[in-house]
Parts: sequence; C-alpha cells; structure tokens
Amino acid sequence: MTEVLCTVSTKAILLGNEAIARGIVEAGCLVACAYPGTPSSEILPAVAKFADEMGSPMAVEWGVNEKVAFEMAAAASFTGSRSCAVMKQVGLNVAADPFMSSALYDLKGGFLLVVADDPGPHSSQTEQDSRHFAMFAKIPCFDPSSASEAKEMVFDAFDLSERFHVTAMLRPSVRVDHCRQDVELGEILPFKGEVKFEKDPSRWVCLPAKVRVNHPKLNAKLEEIRAAFETEFRKYNYEVPAKKESVLGIVASGVSFSIVSDILKSLGREDVAVLKIGTPHPLPVKMVTDFIEKHPRVLFLEETYPVMEMQIPDRTKIMGRWNGVVPGAGELLPEVVAGILADILGIESPSGADSMLKDTLEELGITPRKPMLCPGCPHRASFFSIRQALPNAVNPSDIGCYSLGVNQKAVDAIIDMGGSVTMGSGLTLAHKVAGIDRPVVSTIGDSTFFHMGIPGLVSAVYNRHPFVLAILDNSTTAMTGGQANPGVGEKLRKGDEGRKVDIEGVCRGCGVSHVRTVAAYDVAAGKEAIKEAWESAKEKKEPAVVIFRHPCMLLRLQQPVIPVRVDPEKCIGCKFCINFFNCPGLVFNEESGKAYIDERFCVSCGVCLSVCPHGAIVEVSEEGE
Amino acid sequence: MQYVIVGIGGQGILFTSRILGKIAVERGEQVMGSEVHGMAQRGGSVISHFKVGNYRSPLVMAGDADILLAFDQNEGIRNLHFLKKNGSMVVNVHSEDDMKNSSLTAFLKDRSIRVYSLAGYELLKKHMGGNFLFLNVLLMGAMCGANISGLTFEEVSRAVKELSPSKFEDANMKVFRLGYDSISSGQ
Ligand SMILES: Cc1ncc(C[n+]2csc(CCOP(=O)(O)OP(=O)(O)O)c2C)c(N)n1
Repeated sequence: MTEVLCTVSTKAILLGNEAIARGIVEAGCLVACAYPGTPSSEILPAVAKFADEMGSPMAVEWGVNEKVAFEMAAAASFTGSRSCAVMKQVGLNVAADPFMSSALYDLKGGFLLVVADDPGPHSSQTEQDSRHFAMFAKIPCFDPSSASEAKEMVFDAFDLSERFHVTAMLRPSVRVDHCRQDVELGEILPFKGEVKFEKDPSRWVCLPAKVRVNHPKLNAKLEEIRAAFETEFRKYNYEVPAKKESVLGIVASGVSFSIVSDILKSLGREDVAVLKIGTPHPLPVKMVTDFIEKHPRVLFLEETYPVMEMQIPDRTKIMGRWNGVVPGAGELLPEVVAGILADILGIESPSGADSMLKDTLEELGITPRKPMLCPGCPHRASFFSIRQALPNAVNPSDIGCYSLGVNQKAVDAIIDMGGSVTMGSGLTLAHKVAGIDRPVVSTIGDSTFFHMGIPGLVSAVYNRHPFVLAILDNSTTAMTGGQANPGVGEKLRKGDEGRKVDIEGVCRGCGVSHVRTVAAYDVAAGKEAIKEAWESAKEKKEPAVVIFRHPCMLLRLQQPVIPVRVDPEKCIGCKFCINFFNCPGLVFNEESGKAYIDERFCVSCGVCLSVCPHGAIVEVSEEGE
Repeated sequence: MQYVIVGIGGQGILFTSRILGKIAVERGEQVMGSEVHGMAQRGGSVISHFKVGNYRSPLVMAGDADILLAFDQNEGIRNLHFLKKNGSMVVNVHSEDDMKNSSLTAFLKDRSIRVYSLAGYELLKKHMGGNFLFLNVLLMGAMCGANISGLTFEEVSRAVKELSPSKFEDANMKVFRLGYDSISSGQ
C-alpha cells in the first residue's frame, strides 16, 4: 500500500501531453507503460519527470511495442492498482488483440488507455478515429477539447473505470496533445486500496464460456455508463445556448468544439447554439436528440470519423459526414470549419488564397519544404551504400526517420512497423515462384526491429528466405523524438537501470548465421557488406543481416568535423548527388548548373566526399583554405 | 495577441513559444498555442501558433494573426496569408532580391503589412561563429526591437535568460541584444 502526498499547487504552461501526464501522476497511477508514437510520445517521459519531482513510487516503462505496453498495464490493474497504457492511434492496431479481449473483463484497478489521434494526418500512416475502436470494443471514451480538460478527464476516466470495472479510453487528438496552455497543478491523490492479485480464473481467464457471461454484462454496463453521461458529466457535456432565436445548432466534440467556439465569437453570432460533447461513446443520445429537436438544422463537427453522428438513429436533420456537408477526410482546421459555416449561414467565406500571394509563390518558386533526413544523418549514408551495392534490388522499408529514404530512391514499399522484414519474405517468395533472380534488401531501424521486426525474422529463418535485412541502428527512436529502446538500455525514471539488448546477439539467436556490422558513414565498407550479405543469403538460402551503426545526429554527440566544398571545375551538373544522396546541405544551383554546399545546413560530416562520381566534392582543409 | 511562428524543422522555433508563454503567464494572461512535433520536424516546414488572451482554440485562423515570426524567408512568404491587415512580419532574410518581388510588395502594400527584415545568417556568421541555433533568440530580439508585440526589452530578455540553459545564457543575452539593435536602430 502506498500513500504519497505532495504539496505543489500552482499553474504552469504545459503541453497537452504534459497535462495528461500530470493527471496520470496526480491520479495515483502506479504502473504506466507506453510505446512512443506521434502525437502521444511526450506523455510517458513527462509521467516519469513528474513522478520523479513529486516522489511517486510508480513504475514508468517503455514496452517494446504497444501490445507489450498494453498487456503490462492491463495486468497491473488486475491487482487493484491504477494503471495506464499510452500509444498513438495505429499503436492500438498493434494492441488490438489484448484491447478487445480485456474490454470484456470485469476489471479491478482503474485502467486508463490513452490513444492519441492524428487528424491530418501530420505524422501517421492512417487517419483512423480511435473513438471508433472504443465503440468496437464497447468501452467508454473521453474526447478532450483542451489540455486542461484532458488533464481533468484523466481523473474521471480512472474513476469511471473503477466504478464500472471497464477499460476507459482518453482520446486526445494532435491539437490537444501539442497545444500549450496554462494548466492547474495539483497533488498526488492518496491510494486507498491494496495491491493484491487474487486468484479467480472466472475473472481473469478469457475462456469462451466466460465471454458468454461477460458480453451481455458489458452491454448492460454500457447502458449504465450512457445514463451517467446523460446526467453526471455536465462539465464535459453542456450546451452553450444561443442568445437569440437559433438558426443553427452545432454538436461538437474535441478540438472542433474549441475551434467553432472561437469562430462564432469572432463572427459575433448570437443565433447559433453549440452542444459540447466530451463523452462521444457511449453517446448521451437523449441529450443530443433533445438538442437536435430544438433547432431547425444541426451541424455535427467531430474528428475524424462520424462517430457521434452514427449513434443518432434519425439523421435526417443532421448536416455532417453522411451527407457530405463535412469533408470525409482531413483535419477540421479553422479555415475548413469557417468555410462550412459560411455555406450554411449564407455569409461570405473567409478570405481564400490571395492572388497576389499566389503569384509571389509561383514567381519565386516557393513550395512547402518536404521533410528530409537531417544533415549528417547516418541513414542517408546507409541508403547510399545499399543502393549503390545492388542497384537492381527491391527495397522494402519500414516506419522511422528512414522512411524518408524514399527521397533517395532507396525505399520502394512501406506498410507498417516490422513490415520491411515480412515484405522481404513475401517478395522473395513471389520471385522464387516466378523464377526471378532479383535481390531484396529490406531496411529497418533499431526501435522498429525490436517492436515487430523479430517475429518476421524468425519466420524468414524458419522458412529459409534468402534476402538481406539492413538494420539501421542509430541508437535511438529518432522519428518520435529520441526515446530509448532495448538496444540503448536506458530507462525513464531516475535511478532505474535497464539492460542493453544486443542486436547482433538477437539476430544470431533467431538463427541468422550471416550477421555483419559496419560503420554507417563508411560508404565503401557498407557497399561491400551488402554485396557479401546477398551472396551469403543466396548460397545459404536464409536471410542475412547487415547492421549499419552510427548515432543519430539529434543525440548531438561529438564527431570529426570535415568541411567540404564543391569544386565547380569538376562538377558537371549531373545531379547524381541530389538524386541519390539528397542532403539539405548539398543543393543545386539551376542558374550555374552546378551543385554547392549550403552552409546554413551542412554539418561537415564528410560523407558526401565519397558520393560524387566525378570527385567534385572535396575537403576544404586539404587545400589549406 | 495572435502569433504565427514559421520556419524549417530543426531551427528551434519551439523555444520561441516557450518564451512568449512565460512572459504571458507572468503577466497573468491566458495562453493557448499549437506546436509541431514528429515527422514534419525533420527539415520540413514547421509552424507554431500562439495566442494570448481569452481563446479556446490553439490555432490561429488565416487572416487573424497580429505577428508572423519567420525563421526562414520562404516560409514567411508562404504563410503571409495568416496575417491580418496591418499585421507585421519579422523575417530572417537570405535573399534581398526575392523580397523586392513586385507581386509580393503589392500584396504587402494592399494589406498594409509591415516587414522587419534582418539578415540572420550573416549576423550570426559575423558575431556568433556561424552558430545558426541562435536564430530563435535573434528573432525574439528583433521582434522586441520592432516594438510591435507590446513586450519590453527587459521583460523579454529576462524570460530568455531564465529559460536559457546556463551554458548558453551569456551568448543568448548577446544575441538578443544583437537582434534588438539590428531592428530598432534601422527603423
Ligand atoms: C504501430 C506504430 N507505433 C508507433 C509508431 C510511431 N513511430 C513512427 S517511427 C517509429 C520508430 C522509429 O524508430 P527507429 O525504427 O529506431 O528509426 P529512427 O526513426 O530512429 O530512424 C515509431 C515508434 C508508428 N508509426 N506505428
């Protein structure tokens, strides 16, 4: 039993994710697990930081993937302690199996699932709406409209979970996760229960006979929760009435509520009523239908799928996604919402793209900058080696910064985390059946290898699939902001010691006999290693592994500084370096028809010295400049 | 007051909203902002929104911003539609010629937008050994020097100082002054 009290009570400006983290610690959560993923990544490190500062005894850990994190947290709640699992929306696809089955359990300790959605999407491979997943699993879902509301919902979600013994979902979307707002800070709630696992197979073993009991029970719980949402949660579900006779009612949840509120205020409209819903599932249907009845027309604003809309039996009066009033994809940005309102209210649309500004952009050739690997990024060097070693190869890849290898024409296909390994198998099989002799070189990052690469590798060894797996080990989970992973070995809480898991050892343990490691910056060695691995794979009829190692530039470690320049005499303007190396520090001047070093970005890593086939990239110091 | 801050991933634009946030809270004002984390940070276009006052939404709507703070000239031009009439842009310029484009100057005139430019890369090369990570503080200094945000030199420099990691404190104060003088003396 734990009792921790802390006496901080002030306001602070927090990122939405930090506010959620603060709520998790204050609510007395004892086990928090996650796997990073934008826009959720900042939550768990902030939980660890607040837990350290406030002296919470809680455990805070990265799981190796979302299924692992979910199961760790769920099982912890079986003991009666409060626990939570945190992930991004596609993470829940990975954790869908335990999510669906534990949803049916009569849980004991409060179990909070935080799933961050990414309408837009800004940094994701789908635009899915996790509230739909809550509906699928028949569990309650909170949809915060701001950072401070998200924090408050954490407490209510834990309470609700304990009251009805169900998983409770908090679904912030990216604009809540990454908003910055002043938030009230509180103390850690004392934990009054007892942490104890009580043996009870009828409760904790999901046999079909048990499901036949639990499923109707869950249905009944859901109706009770709906009733509670109709009456008890007025702080999340409330009407902002029109001051005059209403011409329009709007039902809005999440950040769409915040956006439409600001727009109505700036338009000065007093004839539009808004019903805010913070608990979209199970929807307080009576509250919403009563609202619909009061207004001549009703608009639904929610992201990203029509989750509330679909729970209304009679949609004839509703303007939303079912009839195309609200776009079926993409983020509901202020400009989009303002456009929808303008159409409905018959007012002038907000100023669109100005023609003079459009001309400016065209004349100056200004376009949005696409994401690119950082200058000095080791992945760029690895991709260059891989492409040059086997130009004819098919290159499946994976989810990480190295997805940007597509700019170097070194990434041909991506599905999801771990897919590079299994696509390697699938392509190899198709080639084999058709009698095609074409190399396959897959690329995967260190964090993604641990996340979901290993099962595919075991399968490839077992089935004897000859292809090359290049593991791009930059000693971090870079894409999501630099979290540790098993290959790094660090943990989140102060004083917590982890143990480093050796990638070479894992590959050998999986049964791979050809495992080689090269320095990613050494292009010549990288090329050789890939050629050699492909020969070995063919000969032994099994996957071969090459590990490209160099720390991520974001870790800002010291490394040799090798200033370079492009010799205009030797540069023939072939753009080989632009097409296959693609570095922000190496750009092409269309006027002179030659490449040059853009010193705003170049970090003098020196890798491009071995890139130019004409030897036009040269070291500066060599010539005494 | 509504700010839009734009640049290229890796330029350190997030530090700017932390400074603005600290000042606002010390003044007892409400703040709301939106940042970019993740994929877009990898060298792509990035945008932060920051609102001081009684707002619910973290996003600034096109045509509503008072100040556009541009770490990169192209990103600044690309996001001019965020500024309201009479708004101001503080911009790190790398091509003076582009700024003279006739469509651009016509647009700025039509909207009565004031532009405060400084050659950030040149200044940092000359005074800070070419460390371009100081751009954020340089631009804060410039914005302050332009006297458009209602924030005083003392207020902003104190916030910069308090949020600086100790090993960068002196350098940041120097850069802040550099940015401030580069605009205030030129106007
Ligand atoms: C199922 C799932 N979980 C999480 C993410 C978020 N995410 C994107 S890339 C990435 C891992 C990147 O790490 P690593 O493979 O080491 O490559 P790096 O970015 O360091 O190059 C993660 C966790 C995701 N896209 N999908």
